[in-house]
Amino acid sequence: MANLRPIKFRILELCNEEGGKWNYEIVPQIQEEYGLKGNFQRDSINFDIIELASGGLLQDVEVKVDEDGIYKKGFLLHKYNITEFGQIRASDACLLNI
Amino acid sequence: MDLQALKTQEHKRRVKIGFMWAFFCAILWGIWYIPGTVVWVLNPFDAMYSEIAATSGDGISLVVTAVLITAFNALTVILALMVWNGVLGKFGEMKRTLKEFHPCSKWFFLAAIFGGPMAILGSFIAMGFVGGAFAAVAALMYPVIGSILASKWYGEKITRRAYTGIAFIIAGGFTIFGGGVLTELGTGNISWIGYLGGLMAAAGWGIEGAIAGKGLDISEPDVSLTIRFIAENIIWWIIIIPLLAIVGFPMFKYAILAFEPLTLLTLIFAGITFGFCYVAWYKSFPLIGVGRGQGIGNLYGLFAVIFIFLFFGDMPAWTILLGGALCLVGSSIMFSESTEELESLRGD
Repeated sequence: MANLRPIKFRILELCNEEGGKWNYEIVPQIQEEYGLKGNFQRDSINFDIIELASGGLLQDVEVKVDEDGIYKKGFLLHKYNITEFGQIRASDACLLNI
Repeated sequence: MDLQALKTQEHKRRVKIGFMWAFFCAILWGIWYIPGTVVWVLNPFDAMYSEIAATSGDGISLVVTAVLITAFNALTVILALMVWNGVLGKFGEMKRTLKEFHPCSKWFFLAAIFGGPMAILGSFIAMGFVGGAFAAVAALMYPVIGSILASKWYGEKITRRAYTGIAFIIAGGFTIFGGGVLTELGTGNISWIGYLGGLMAAAGWGIEGAIAGKGLDISEPDVSLTIRFIAENIIWWIIIIPLLAIVGFPMFKYAILAFEPLTLLTLIFAGITFGFCYVAWYKSFPLIGVGRGQGIGNLYGLFAVIFIFLFFGDMPAWTILLGGALCLVGSSIMFSESTEELESLRGD
């Protein structure tokens, strides 16, 4: 696909939706859009999300235990929403619709 | 296991990874001072130094030679980083990030200015003028500048405990720095340019960390770092070295002469240790913050002194040992911080 922007930009866009988005929804969507295959890329994208949250650009609005192994069994699943700070940084980066 | 316990566990894991990266950075950074010191006595840099010194004097000669060494350092670092990004499959993301000049690349180009011509050049000058151990400890002050800038500029949280740790590290830095100056005062022969180089390193790396933290918000650390070194290579090879050559220094002659096995090997060793120390540095920032990442990274001062002792047999003065111990205390204070306070790195 043409005109893809850096992955973290896209993650911020996805988390700007009403009510936020689960990490197990974000990761496959990004993998699909950017053509990134395999577990290494999957973890790498998930790590991008963690970094964004740690930097205060995303916050988790809901957390649940991955009982059924949707993403990684026994680990936590997070639903993220963009923070005000994240919105400011995103608009600095001229992200659309934020 | 209940949700809260899992949350705490996940959080702890994240902070642990951040500290681990910062620690890797410290070890590699410490090792870097070995090739960094050795390269000064290798051909063609020693010949270059004598040639320029004969016409322009020692001081200028040293700085110009340091420019060429720093430029080669940047070149081998970028080679190491290209391999690294290739292995991680991140060239696509690199292209995407590079295109975003305004929000991303701009910051890394700025970081390159402070990190390269200021900090790394300053370090090489300090190594050439005063010595490796001094250069290493002189830069110990940089987290202070980095964390103060990060907290004033974009409100990064620094706890009181982190401040205490930083204070210990500074005290350690002063002990090492001061010890060297006092000894030299005794002999009446002070290498001021070397000390200036030490200060350049401290200020440059501190500012670089804070600027990089700003761009790292919204981009990948591996990719950002590579862009930062692409920028540094542009600064050296396209701007400064041609300028010096035009002014009349034999830059290209010696740049070509650097292609001999032992020199190249040393430079590549420098590139690998420095490149990966930087990777680790940039990776720790988003996880534990610029202040803490730099604070732990600071243990490099201690490692440098140890490695220099092991390789060159230079027994450090007691002031260096005492200072190193203080740095260790400071970093342990930061290590042992209750991680609950690190939930988010930014203030509300």
